[in-house]
Amino acid sequence: MRKINAIAQKELLALFCSPIAYVILFLSTVIFNVFFFMIIDQNREAQLKDVFTVVEFMLVFFVPIFTMKIFSEERASGTLEFLLTAPVKDIEIVLGKFLGLSIFLTCVLAPTLIYYFILSRFSDFDRLAALWGYCGLWLEGYLFIAIGIFLSSLCRSQIVAAMSSYMVLFLLYFTLSFKTYTQGMWSSVIGYAAVMTHTENFFTGIFLLSDLVYFVSGILFFLLLTKLVLKFR
Amino acid sequence: MIELKNVCKQFGSVEVLSQIALEIQTGEIVGFLGHNGAGKTTLMRIMTTYLPATSGQVFIDGKNAATASLAIRAKIGYLPEKPPLYPNMTVNEYLTLAGRLHNVRPRDLKGAIASVCAECWLTDVQNSPIAILSKGYQQRVGIAQAIIHNPAILILDEPTSGLDPLQVVQVRALIKRCQSQRTVIVSTHILSEIEHLATRVVIIKQGTIAADASVEEVIRTQQSNTLEEAFLKLNRGRSPISC
Repeated sequence: MRKINAIAQKELLALFCSPIAYVILFLSTVIFNVFFFMIIDQNREAQLKDVFTVVEFMLVFFVPIFTMKIFSEERASGTLEFLLTAPVKDIEIVLGKFLGLSIFLTCVLAPTLIYYFILSRFSDFDRLAALWGYCGLWLEGYLFIAIGIFLSSLCRSQIVAAMSSYMVLFLLYFTLSFKTYTQGMWSSVIGYAAVMTHTENFFTGIFLLSDLVYFVSGILFFLLLTKLVLKFR
Repeated sequence: MIELKNVCKQFGSVEVLSQIALEIQTGEIVGFLGHNGAGKTTLMRIMTTYLPATSGQVFIDGKNAATASLAIRAKIGYLPEKPPLYPNMTVNEYLTLAGRLHNVRPRDLKGAIASVCAECWLTDVQNSPIAILSKGYQQRVGIAQAIIHNPAILILDEPTSGLDPLQVVQVRALIKRCQSQRTVIVSTHILSEIEHLATRVVIIKQGTIAADASVEEVIRTQQSNTLEEAFLKLNRGRSPISC
């Protein structure tokens, strides 16, 4: 755990030493706040489902920006050799990086918790559903990070890593649109693969084990794939 | 002790190392000499377990690199050709990271950093970001991370490449200080470096060992006056300039 923490701290330091972290934090806070105000003002409903949908969509844009260089930069600058010749397991490197980025994601999402307290203060809204929605949002962010880390481990160029992450995340996000054009088994497969199918349940406060399994297994799958990429580098 | 048994390495269809057999005893200072692309870096990377050998075996203190890579890495300090530095970190932060990754106990870490900083003449820049340091300082930071855990084996890949003459002298002096307690393997294509540092020279030519002896012995067996002459004789036919 000590080595995982050391790598996570290194990643956080690298993020906060670059302007990217501050730009993402600033933009996300502004965008989320504007949409929160607009949604509450227009819907006149004390619920966060629509706000979550906006935050979810913005994560598709933000996550590749901070995952793109996680391995590709190390590969290009030669520092991957430093990590891989230290007595550190490949999985510890992967988990350290995942932990670092997950903490940063928490910094991005944590300010949105204020919406929960605002609605709690001024209305009698479904708090459990909102908390469950936050769980879905965080899990989705972790899944996007795991995918971004995996794609970055395959690339030497940050741009290629970012582009491939955007491609996969957009595909995951919009897959549900293809469901209407398919039938039978394919329709079920696309329905299950689409990230929106599962976040929708979270955001409306519905607990289904299959949704939890989808995110947790997806995160583990991509982290293990990254470990394999390091092993067979 | 380091033992390599018939180590071969292929990248696709290209054979970079062929049947390398080598034994390095504890406390030896061995210089790997060869042209660019001879296979020195690949051989070092195999020793550090960064790369697996295509065939053959590598043993470090009796441990097989293929099965006990973590134990082997704990015994080795490695400086790649390009120092693996994070420019946004300060020297202190970087050495703290290196120490934590190399199993230095938390209570010993401060002392270890102070000790390597003193040893590598880095004390005055400990709190400076690596990005603003000169190449010579950066090289010394690279050496400091390689010795932070007091490894029994130190592997340095072209530690003086790209440095100005004064920095070369400083880094050589630093390596000399390091070698008093360790097995040191230095790769270079600068012949004078080997003469200054190594007690034994291994000349690698197109992925095979062309010579493995003391500097004096290599000069004598090649009927030469200098190591440079011996090296050129061993590599005759490779370069358009024959001697």
